[in-house]
Amino acid sequence: MDPQTNIYQPFPVRILRTLPQIAEHRLFQLQMEDGGSWERFGHQPGQFIEVSIFGKGEAPISISSPPTRPDVLEICVRRTGNLTNALFELEKGSRLHVRGPYGRGFPVEKLKGRNLLLVAGGLGLAPLRSLLLYVLDRRDEFGDLTLMYGTNNPDNVLFKYELLSFFDRSDIRYFYSVDRDQEGIWKQYVGVVTGLFDQAELSTSDTCAVLCGPPIMYRFVLEKLLALGFSKENIYMSLERMMKCGVGKCGHCAIGEMYCCMDGPVFNYTEIEHIKEAI
Amino acid sequence: MKRIRKDLLKDVLKDWALDRTVIAPRRTECGECIYDTFDDAGFTLDIAKPSAPPKRSLFPQSEVIFQIEQGGYRQVVSSSPTLIFGIRPCDHKGLLQSQSFMSQDLDDPYYRTKSESVLTVVMACPGSMSPTCFCTTTSSGPWAESGFDLQLYDDGDGFLVEIGSERGRDLVSSGSFEDIDDAKAAEKIRAFQKAAGSRIPIIPEVEDAMERLETSNKASDEVWEGFGKKCITCGGCSFVCPTCTCFTVSDRVVSLETGDRIRSWDSCLYAGFTKEASGHNPRRTSALRIKRRHEHKLLYHKDRDHHGGLCTCVGCGRCSDYCPVHIGLIEVAHAICSAKDSAGEEKRYSGGVS
Repeated sequence: MDPQTNIYQPFPVRILRTLPQIAEHRLFQLQMEDGGSWERFGHQPGQFIEVSIFGKGEAPISISSPPTRPDVLEICVRRTGNLTNALFELEKGSRLHVRGPYGRGFPVEKLKGRNLLLVAGGLGLAPLRSLLLYVLDRRDEFGDLTLMYGTNNPDNVLFKYELLSFFDRSDIRYFYSVDRDQEGIWKQYVGVVTGLFDQAELSTSDTCAVLCGPPIMYRFVLEKLLALGFSKENIYMSLERMMKCGVGKCGHCAIGEMYCCMDGPVFNYTEIEHIKEAI
Repeated sequence: MKRIRKDLLKDVLKDWALDRTVIAPRRTECGECIYDTFDDAGFTLDIAKPSAPPKRSLFPQSEVIFQIEQGGYRQVVSSSPTLIFGIRPCDHKGLLQSQSFMSQDLDDPYYRTKSESVLTVVMACPGSMSPTCFCTTTSSGPWAESGFDLQLYDDGDGFLVEIGSERGRDLVSSGSFEDIDDAKAAEKIRAFQKAAGSRIPIIPEVEDAMERLETSNKASDEVWEGFGKKCITCGGCSFVCPTCTCFTVSDRVVSLETGDRIRSWDSCLYAGFTKEASGHNPRRTSALRIKRRHEHKLLYHKDRDHHGGLCTCVGCGRCSDYCPVHIGLIEVAHAICSAKDSAGEEKRYSGGVS
């Protein structure tokens, strides 16, 4: 049998750089074994890969970089389980295996020409960054761009320098929040991410909202969006599930009649609002 | 149509076993009937409802899918010509449904390769094999409509043999199989089917439960809570289920640089089944997990995987047979139907007061 046809076959890649982010979070830049472009991988913003490390099995990890930057594939990882613990032991040049890209990413084609509101909480910025950078790289194909990003405290802001770099741009509106600021060093909004809506003066017409964050965030942000008059059809969110196979067979990530790994991880709100356990 | 005498069957199986593995019902020392490699001494035709479906021939409880060596993953796709003899129609429907699920959208090479090398000899059921049989409800028995290589109908001292495929035709080319008049055999088969069907009562609650889940699944929350308190999360229902194919994947380290990637049966009843590394668990209670299992069978499944069945439960009744705390599909269907009415009434009542 042709090895290419095996949906579970991982292929080798190398770690080009590991960039510390915040405590227990790192950005890993992966390089094709032959050093070539990731263009042939064909990933879209919002998709994920299955990462294999010898003896530790596989874990699904979202892709943080956009296809518009195909030199490397970036994954932003929190050290939290067996596989990610092993991943943090690997150094520059180490070999690991991946397969993918998997899942239905953000509906980039549908978002073109529309105003965009991206709302991220915590590590939710990792998958959303693939869309954020994609939009910035093809800025003229999209309407107004607004980013809201909330973390629990100023020490836990991911991609800090990228977020700071937006201060110099006029083509993105950004609102950053922290839940708590005990040392009084935060110059932006202190409070939960939904508080940012009061500052943003969003136009809801022709705006699509794209969310990614911890489950608790969705409930409150959705409430806010609906109150502001967003239609459910214009709300997209990326859900997190335990995804073992990535190809709709193992059953772990089932949400109603759908599989998060195949039908998601990005869903339109109308697709999941009737499923009680989805959010 | 062909006919084979029962006293010749063992020789036929020996013959078939010459160039393939034959899996056939075997009576163990404990009196249990299981599917196992054909064994002259243990072979039995009195198979009733075997303890477990023969799904492990296509979907082993545990199988090595990759060998890890020299820093790479080398696929191990193994299959050998196999014949499964004496499959009950409910279990056969389960195989067809699993085959469909495993090959839809993306093809699972491990399952497909095995299914391509398996010949199936179905044995039509003469009637109810236990009070928990309900294949007539789920349209998955007591005989198979299609998808088999051979199907046997009991005919006194022999079996009428229905040929379902070209591969099946090759199987019955030996002299042990006598030709019989097609019209006469068809009449006998019709009589067999009619009698068998009438012996397996319909459980109307199953279809009712499906409808109720479809129209308003919220009302049955207390049903799930009730079962959740009883369930001991052993996962046995999944393992004896002909259509459960959920699996987990793990790596086994053999030496510093070599190892195996293994996939093994998993169960959606286990607390860790949906638990993410972050600790977040969308189905953190047994109630939610039991709900999921039964919704998967009765509500959330794709028509394309049915193969003519009612849903993705094939009515073998083994979950009801084996659950140590009596949470089988039959019990769940009954509970959904009876509890939902009272919940509905309660709702109307409290609505009236407030």
